[in-house]
Amino acid sequence: MQERVTHEDLMRFLDGELPPEEHARVQAAIDASTELAREVAIYRGMKGRLHALSFHPGTYHRSVWDGVHQHLTRPIGWILTIAGAAVWVVYGVYVFTASPVDLWQKLATGAVVIGILMLLTSVIWERYREWLTDPYRDILR
Amino acid sequence: MQPELERELIRKCKAGDARFYEPLVRAYEPPALRLATGMLGNLDDARDALQDAFVKAYEALHRFDLRRPFGPWFFQILRNHCRDMLRSRQARFKLEALDENLEHRPEDAEKGPERTRQRTAASEILWRALEKIGYEHREILVLKELQGFRYNEIAEILDIPEGTVASRLFHARHALKDALDEMGAELP
Repeated sequence: MQERVTHEDLMRFLDGELPPEEHARVQAAIDASTELAREVAIYRGMKGRLHALSFHPGTYHRSVWDGVHQHLTRPIGWILTIAGAAVWVVYGVYVFTASPVDLWQKLATGAVVIGILMLLTSVIWERYREWLTDPYRDILR
Repeated sequence: MQPELERELIRKCKAGDARFYEPLVRAYEPPALRLATGMLGNLDDARDALQDAFVKAYEALHRFDLRRPFGPWFFQILRNHCRDMLRSRQARFKLEALDENLEHRPEDAEKGPERTRQRTAASEILWRALEKIGYEHREILVLKELQGFRYNEIAEILDIPEGTVASRLFHARHALKDALDEMGAELP
């Protein structure tokens, strides 16, 4: 008695994934059954149509390499910039505090610098909060 | 790409030299774009997914086993990323830009505009049916039919046993057949 052909057997048959003896068994079952033959014809037709959707984007498409490269190298750039700036800030503060100018000049300059930093921080924070609640932030313009 | 060359490039990337990543990106870009477009349904989201997946893969290279091929490992990352994109608000399967730019075939041009129009109409019906059947079914059909992967490769990318591939393909094809039936598309 012939072994039953399962749906999985049929898929492997269609996709050329069966060993030769199994392939022959399924082929014999298909030859003997019009219902199976019809099913195979439908799936084969769909396979062909799906296969025709495949495309070769290489010739039409701009490579994503530039974007990938930017992502990979940007963190290194940021680390170097921040580290360098931090060294300069520390050195600047040291030179400023160790300089022989009057205390009131140091306090006034310090107040200006701290004031500018506070204003900058509040603007950035404000923008960030606006962005968080912006209902249109995912809309491409 | 030759496996030995691929391993050498990955070794150099693991050592921290990003320049050697470029040949890998360029080699895997066309099939990866095809995969992402099939999963997301439009070229813009597919390009975004591709770029993010290449960055993720580079950052995870230290975990990559050099005895394995890069392709299935990378496609797994890409597939997971596409899935995450579809789950989040960033993207949904939308049929945009899947036009004649992608479908352009020289043999169609030779056969005239009627042939091109027929092919475009048939493709659109098929894409719509793929949209209908949902992500789970679509991804396995894309891997098999658009990419032409073998069952063992699909199993590796989807992280499922090889025996499950045939069964998932059956359900996906059955769902596609039902979707095409519902849309009144002609089946053989």
